[in-house]
Amino acid sequence: MSPLAMYQLVALILLVAGLFGITQRKTLVGMLICVELMLNGAGLSIVAAAQLTPANAVLGQLGTLFVMGLAAAEATLVLAIIVVVVRRFGSAKSNAVTTLKG
Amino acid sequence: MELMAKIAFGAYTLIILGGSLLAVGSKSLVRAMIGLVATLLGVAGMYMLLNSAFLALMQILIYVGAVCVLIFFAIMLTRADAGGEESESAPVRQNALALAAVLVVGGVLGWLVLTHPLATTGVPVEVAIEKLGLGLLGPYGLAFELISVVLLVSMAGAVLLAWERRNGK
Repeated sequence: MSPLAMYQLVALILLVAGLFGITQRKTLVGMLICVELMLNGAGLSIVAAAQLTPANAVLGQLGTLFVMGLAAAEATLVLAIIVVVVRRFGSAKSNAVTTLKG
Repeated sequence: MELMAKIAFGAYTLIILGGSLLAVGSKSLVRAMIGLVATLLGVAGMYMLLNSAFLALMQILIYVGAVCVLIFFAIMLTRADAGGEESESAPVRQNALALAAVLVVGGVLGWLVLTHPLATTGVPVEVAIEKLGLGLLGPYGLAFELISVVLLVSMAGAVLLAWERRNGK
């Protein structure tokens, strides 16, 4: 197995763990943690593909830096949204966020 | 030297595996966050192995330093109950369906990675940090400016969302 495939498999593990977690978690904070896992897998995959192939390595590293910046922005917004949800519904569980009852 | 790299790769993979298991499976959200920190540190080690030390430092600075503190604030602000926020477990059928869905995605992507190997150089390229800076100011300047706007807007949006209106004003 080539080194690139091994790095890609580790990134795939991160993606799979994040996907499984986001379907299982019942609180919004837990889902946020799983999203961060998936974003890390994406970053690792981009860097491995850029560093181990003849592709443009500068582009790969900068792309991962941008992924980190977007993850920071996303975490900030999700924190604010969680604060609003807790204030309005009294709980951060994803089941609690309903206003229509049928 | 080759052997050392393999040992380090195995160790980082174990850290990532254990950390992500803890992050996904733990009943307590604080423990899940500790698992996330371990995973992030493992990925930083992977960046070191890929000969991109700057990215490893940025990973520790941004993710472990900033994003994890944000997540910790989120855990504190939601006033989570002490008995474990995720303590009631999901029904078995839901677990099985989630596992099946995830295994389909992982299986297809893993099969693609294993059966379509890319031409690889095998040795990570060394990129001087000056080249990263020149790239940010040159060909990728627009993306650099846009991400600063995104960060500013998200920060202002977060302040606006979480703003508590005083009563009577």
